[in-house]
Amino acid sequence: MASHHLIDAYLARLAARLPAHVVDELADGLIETCQRQLAHGLPPDTAARTAIAEFGTADRIAGEFVAQAPGRRTARLLLATGPAVGACWGISLIAAKVWTWSVPVTVGVGYAVALLSVIAVLLAAATSRHSYRRTRLGTAGALALAVLDASMLAAVVLLAPAVAWPMAAAIPASLGRIGYAIHSLPHVRTS
Amino acid sequence: MKAEAQALKGHLEVLLLAALEDGPRHGYAVKEALRDGSGGRFDLPTGTIYPALHRLEEAGLITGSWSTVDGRRRRTYHLTAQGLRRLHADRSNWHGFAAAVTALLERKPWPATT
Repeated sequence: MASHHLIDAYLARLAARLPAHVVDELADGLIETCQRQLAHGLPPDTAARTAIAEFGTADRIAGEFVAQAPGRRTARLLLATGPAVGACWGISLIAAKVWTWSVPVTVGVGYAVALLSVIAVLLAAATSRHSYRRTRLGTAGALALAVLDASMLAAVVLLAPAVAWPMAAAIPASLGRIGYAIHSLPHVRTS
Repeated sequence: MKAEAQALKGHLEVLLLAALEDGPRHGYAVKEALRDGSGGRFDLPTGTIYPALHRLEEAGLITGSWSTVDGRRRRTYHLTAQGLRRLHADRSNWHGFAAAVTALLERKPWPATT
């Protein structure tokens, strides 16, 4: 069986929501299922309908892949740990009297805006239930957060007159988050 | 059958590992192995097998490779050493659990409490 319009329409619904390599794999399974029905003597239309019913709804399958998408998981972990890391930095910056550092106000405001934007991106990825594409924002958000962490570490090294003791928690937290962001970069499946 | 599929949820991953113990299989073949191996009782919606296989692969318990069959891309999975260890451990736990439940469900006098 090369193709059937019902099978093609079902796969098109999946392709609109899932990565191409996942759809390729699902297509193979669905066509195998359909071929089995044809081998049992069903006419093509009935075989295609039965195969689709046996396979499960496109919504359910796409939903399961979205729920376990790496980007969604990354975003959820970063959002869960974010308040603790933020609190560490807040205490650190107060202890280090950040208002005495020679940082232009616009840079500080720009940093805050960037941080809020990253949080919004991570929230979009973490709350995605139907769109795999949206979960990929989680990886982008993780990388952007790593850049912000690196900027904060650079600011401490270059601008802080002295190291405040709460930084003993904040610096490793940021370094860990940078490492996690690099680790969470998607692996390309070629084999 | 649907109720059994629901009850199966917590055990799906170890059953998938068991289905791969005898050698590599692709998703549809894994579903058939589950159905045939259970005498037709565990006939899951084929599509639900694939997300579970991806979870196992991400956990390093199985690994997949692509081939081309009849002009279609096919992903075939096999157990990793870590997956085999997990299967043996889960199988041992299951035997202990099943033996305890069976012992309790047998019709016999229950121990008296004091």
